[in-house]
Amino acid sequence: MKKKLSLLERMAAVPHIVWIALFIVGPMLFVLYFAFTDKNNQFSFSNIGQLGNYSHIFLLSVLFALIATAVCLLIGYPLAYFMARSKPSTQRILMILLMLPMWVSLLIRTYSLLVLLDNGGLINSLLKAMGRKEPLKIIGTGFAVVLGMIYDFLPYMVLPIYTSISKLDNRYLEAAADLGCTPVGTIFRVVLPLTVPGILSGVTMVFVPSISTFYISQKLGGGKMELIGDTIERQFKQATANAYHVGAALSLVMMILILISTLIMNKISDGDEGGVLV
Amino acid sequence: MNQDVLIKLSGITKAFDGETVLDNMDLEIHDKEFVTLLGPSGCGKTTTLRIIGGFETPDAGDVFFDGERINDVPAYKRQVNTVFQRYALFPHLNVYDNVAFGLRLSHVPKAEIETRVKEMLEMTGLRGFEARKPSTLSGGQQQRVAIARALVNQPRVLLLDEPLGALDLKLRKDMQNELKRIQHATGITFIYVTHDQEEALSMSDTVVVMSRGKIQQIGTPTDIYNEPVNAFVADFIGESNILDGIMIADKQAKFAGQTFVCVDGGFEPNEPVDIVIRPEDVDVVPVEKGMLAGKVSSVTFKGDYYEIIVDIRGFKWMIETSDYVAPETTIGLSIDPDAIHVMKKSEYSGMFGDYSTFSEEMDHLSDPDAGQGAEEAAE
Ligand SMILES: Nc1ncnc2c1ncn2[C@@H]1O[C@H](COP(=O)(O)OP(=O)(O)OP(=O)(O)O)[C@@H](O)[C@H]1O
Ligand SMILES: [Mg+2]
Repeated sequence: MKKKLSLLERMAAVPHIVWIALFIVGPMLFVLYFAFTDKNNQFSFSNIGQLGNYSHIFLLSVLFALIATAVCLLIGYPLAYFMARSKPSTQRILMILLMLPMWVSLLIRTYSLLVLLDNGGLINSLLKAMGRKEPLKIIGTGFAVVLGMIYDFLPYMVLPIYTSISKLDNRYLEAAADLGCTPVGTIFRVVLPLTVPGILSGVTMVFVPSISTFYISQKLGGGKMELIGDTIERQFKQATANAYHVGAALSLVMMILILISTLIMNKISDGDEGGVLV
Repeated sequence: MNQDVLIKLSGITKAFDGETVLDNMDLEIHDKEFVTLLGPSGCGKTTTLRIIGGFETPDAGDVFFDGERINDVPAYKRQVNTVFQRYALFPHLNVYDNVAFGLRLSHVPKAEIETRVKEMLEMTGLRGFEARKPSTLSGGQQQRVAIARALVNQPRVLLLDEPLGALDLKLRKDMQNELKRIQHATGITFIYVTHDQEEALSMSDTVVVMSRGKIQQIGTPTDIYNEPVNAFVADFIGESNILDGIMIADKQAKFAGQTFVCVDGGFEPNEPVDIVIRPEDVDVVPVEKGMLAGKVSSVTFKGDYYEIIVDIRGFKWMIETSDYVAPETTIGLSIDPDAIHVMKKSEYSGMFGDYSTFSEEMDHLSDPDAGQGAEEAAE
């Protein structure tokens, strides 16, 4: 049922609408405009036509983001479960440990990984001290990039899942046990299905920054791992007349990718309304 | 009825946050028995069931199942199923899958699951609801799904925590008969919790009356009704006039200012006691023929009888009679010796007054003047 808003309520929304128009809708229109014009500001499909040259970069970005999201889910779910089921005092400590890195800027966190994994870094110094001659080459590999994504974005997976597990009513676990379900069976038959909403928001919150990152791949990829974020950044940095237009076209594709993944998530959570209704 | 003890609680004590909820409770439940735990809200009924089901560990005492101590056996290994007070249906599963949950876990063949679930839904009046999610059902429908989900597993023991509380009167009566029939047919031991005394009396083999974490009385419905052990039980089960009295000697009780012949004995000479007289056991007679006389202060038509409140020396009695008497008239009352039930004094003595503030809500607040009157009467 729709309620009529009073004048005051409508006035209160004005700053918000102005904000959205200026900083969200406006830039998107610019992206659209640049994507479909050439350097003479003439309407053109040439930028879109060039996108094929970047298909391998798109594929790599999607692949890395998928792997990072999957690993975050595999690590994050048990971690969130353990946190939600432990004593309140333990929960508080674990929560602080989880949140602590998030107080530090993403750039610095990524740098710290670089320090750790570099040829002259902590791990390799240790290996050297243990008698290894050649440094273990980690930086510059896909492994390092995915590791960076996992390290940076894991808390975004854990938090929503933790919230939905702690909200789960103990009655359902007791009912499952009453019907003969083992504790492990209960996790799969009751806890997992009832925390799907938490999983979905965790997946979205890790997948979206992973697919659009450029900093992690630059630092940990050692310049050899170009992801879509890097390509876009490079286009805009070049600031040649044409690069802006290609960059906008690439951005458009990325936005569509993110939109599609969000739609898929919504579709799944609609199909499973049970968990949300509790 | 089989007399083997199936479940035994021995010295069970349980406290929450320093508050004792169950106090040194002993209880034996026989195989195939229908036992009802009856008591006011908060007396520890659910806690008792949860200890049997394995969801709470007692602070002291032991739980035995079939002679084996099961204190440390987790809930999922116990041969017990529960109809929870708050249903606890799985919100992500539809009615069919909720009911089939236990059978799937015990690897019952698919075809058999289907027949048993269908049968159970049929019995609980839920046919056609298979595909519905619990959140789309009414309270009474959810409650019936909860019954079906537990009963379909045919456990040794079924724990039912107020399983009919959300149903309307007619449906509740039907389900009472249905549950009783199933219990007979399957021989499943039922441990049933209710605070509806009528339900307890009509369904059970054995009634366990609880108050403040202690068992007050265990017995058949007739025993509990006819021979309550203290003022609490007398008051909680049915209507009672509870008076202060004195046992002058065996079979001689003095109350309401008179000495009556009764059938009880075994008290000290002149021992103070509580006297219970049920409203339906008092006969209305002409004043000159009565053992007691009093003035009618109110008359309520109850369908097949009249409920009248009679003031006898300041104490208001409740009496059920089939003949109409007009308010404000004085009537005589006669009581048979076997209608006088004598009880030892207990911690509950004096807590239940007369019917001076009686209302339809069974508001048994004692009136200080009436209490005075009763005491005088007992002198
Ligand atoms: N987990 C708990 N934590 C603290 N107190 C509890 C807990 N469970 C029960 N209690 C307390 O124990 C007492 C007995 O509770 P219980 O649920 O056994 O009562 P009940 O007889 O089933 O009552 P009702 O008829 O209202 O369901 C109550 O005072 C209740 O507040
Ligand atoms: Mg209860």
